[in-house]
Amino acid sequence: MMPFDMRPDAVMQELTSYGQKLSHGMKNLMEVGEISTGVTPKTVVYQEDKLTLFRFNPSAEKVQNKVPLLIVYALVNRPYMADIQENRSTIKALMDAGQDVYLVDWGYPDRADRYLTLDDYINGYLDRCVDVIRERHRIDKINILGICQGGTFSLCYSALHPDKVKNLVTMVTPVDFQTPDNMLSHWVQQVDADLVVDTLGNVPGEMLNWTFLNLKPYQLMGQKYLGLLDTLDDPEALKNFLRMEKWIFDSPDQAGEAFRQFIKDFYQQNKLLKGGLEIGDPVSLKNVSMPVLNVFAEQDHLVPPDASRAMRGKLGTKDYTELSFPGGHIGIYVSGKAQKTVPPAIGKWLDERS
Amino acid sequence: MSNANDWTESWMNSQQNYWKAWADLAQRGMKAPEAPKNPLADGLAQWWQTVSPMAPPTGRDVFDKLMDVSKGYFSLAERFMSGAQAKPDGGMEAINGWLDGMQKTWGDWSKMGSAFKPESMFQPNQFKGLTTFWDLPMDTWNRLAANVMPMPGDYTHAFQQNGAQPMQDQINKFLSVPAVGYSRESQEQYQILAQRQMDYMAATQAYQMAFGKLGMESTKGFQTALQERVKEGKPISSLRELYDQWVEMSEAAYAEFVMTEEYQTLYGRLVNTLLALKQQMARMVDQTLEAMHMPTHAEISTLQCRQQELRRDNLKMHKELKAIQAQLEAMRQSMLQMQAAPKASAQAEEPAPAKSAAPKAAAPKVVAPKAAAPKAAAKPTAAKPAAKPAAKAK
Repeated sequence: MMPFDMRPDAVMQELTSYGQKLSHGMKNLMEVGEISTGVTPKTVVYQEDKLTLFRFNPSAEKVQNKVPLLIVYALVNRPYMADIQENRSTIKALMDAGQDVYLVDWGYPDRADRYLTLDDYINGYLDRCVDVIRERHRIDKINILGICQGGTFSLCYSALHPDKVKNLVTMVTPVDFQTPDNMLSHWVQQVDADLVVDTLGNVPGEMLNWTFLNLKPYQLMGQKYLGLLDTLDDPEALKNFLRMEKWIFDSPDQAGEAFRQFIKDFYQQNKLLKGGLEIGDPVSLKNVSMPVLNVFAEQDHLVPPDASRAMRGKLGTKDYTELSFPGGHIGIYVSGKAQKTVPPAIGKWLDERS
Repeated sequence: MSNANDWTESWMNSQQNYWKAWADLAQRGMKAPEAPKNPLADGLAQWWQTVSPMAPPTGRDVFDKLMDVSKGYFSLAERFMSGAQAKPDGGMEAINGWLDGMQKTWGDWSKMGSAFKPESMFQPNQFKGLTTFWDLPMDTWNRLAANVMPMPGDYTHAFQQNGAQPMQDQINKFLSVPAVGYSRESQEQYQILAQRQMDYMAATQAYQMAFGKLGMESTKGFQTALQERVKEGKPISSLRELYDQWVEMSEAAYAEFVMTEEYQTLYGRLVNTLLALKQQMARMVDQTLEAMHMPTHAEISTLQCRQQELRRDNLKMHKELKAIQAQLEAMRQSMLQMQAAPKASAQAEEPAPAKSAAPKAAAPKVVAPKAAAPKAAAKPTAAKPAAKPAAKAK
């Protein structure tokens, strides 16, 4: 038997079909219109520099948890991933699960923000957002949900300000930055972070995009677009694809000093796990004394599950729970399965502890 | 919009006619006439060139990428079909020849060292399509490098063209000349720039060469996967399947390679040498700006740093002041309560003179704040704000 069973006329038919799909796709592209993201209605409750704190307009009959939930997203992408479209919105699903949801949007730093440090972000911006919510609701402690790098920030914040955090949820959050399967970590070990920041000031979003795409270059820069061909005749599927593309390439530049510290202290020296991390004050995971729910994705190529699981046994809390999702780093927010399982589980866990 | 539809329809019709003619000839067992080298990929490129101006901004990037991928995909089809045409029975000989050719190309890429010109990989008929595919990581890197350079366009690419070797020889000669005379400092800066340029070129070349080796590994993996398919009785039955298999094997080989110490070093060197080059360029741009009495990047950076420090101090003081105000307000409330307590107590006691000793007993409580007053007075800075927040609160 031969490894190929491809008749020339069949190949030609396949190519003709390819051409048809392309031309029909072009028609759909012409008619696709505006791509909306961040769909759930929300209100600005606080602004400072580039930062905006939103509150998602609560539905009175649905809010059952009186302790508000603040979502802390990563600096490296835009937070509308958690609210990308109506039927794929972690935020909406959390609201449906009875939570009163706030969100920190860090904005797009420009060169004037180049000297923002992690201290400025965590003990400055984030702490002021938490205070705003505490004052609005006249409570001492709020619930925090940190996503990816935002989860790491939330952990650090909770360690530095345990008196202000009632419950902490981390989603796809790295704690051990040097697990053997962490590709990103492996790559940056010999990168001179000082040279990067001293030369570039802010680190361009394009540089991060290049790095992320190179995690799986042939899939993410090639095969994915051929896959698009199969859905080009479906305007809704095309819109969904374009929406994801918009998010993937919508990468803010990174404030230089914060980037320097994140690469050196977290990726290169793994200080959050090993100790010795200072963000204004020393950060010890043992100070994380509130209940913690650690949610991670089993097929996460950006934050390997072991990088998140490393939290286990390292925190000061006695109430630690893990929630494992059979999917990837993005699928945990947008897949249909995730929508049905993850936010309701988070809501239930929070309700039991608030 | 109707124009775009007309174009797409006519392109589609022409494609269908073209392939129908070829299919008819193939079915009749006749030799097809000499065709252009890459008719499909070229036709696709022409079509996109025609219709792309009509494409809306939304999704334009996506379609650009789809077109790039499609061109590679069509080239792959053309390569494969030309092999199939040579051996209509799809014989193993043709397949092995195809794969051996790929191995040889990767081997050349990885072995030819500094004399090798990577761009020769992308000349027509040099496994076009597959190399476009393999060039994906390097292509995006080159775009990134061009973006971070102070020079317009892909400045570094100019050094990688056919004249790369003579250029390097010239640079070596230039670097061997000691800097002397009135313009010594300037000469040194240019020498540093040239050195960093060479370092970056060497790093880029090493990175590309490593990808040549990786291509060989990937091709071996692909051959193995084909053999597995034969054993399992699952031959590849479509172009898409062929492409997906190729992606799978390439991704697997890549994932293994990029986790090695070798790749870590290559990657670090690629990034570090690019930034060292940019740093030197920026330094020289600053010198020019300084000579023209214009603000330099370094000066602006210093100002930004100081501004951030001031802002940080300001926020810190604002927070401390707020805390002090809260403390003072709490103290004021406490004093008011204490002051009110004896009065209330006295009023309650008034009708019963016999119990007049009670206020006396309570008196020390009132005295206590009074006694504390001199302490506060001793610290005028603390005493003064105490009045202000109270006024604000009112």
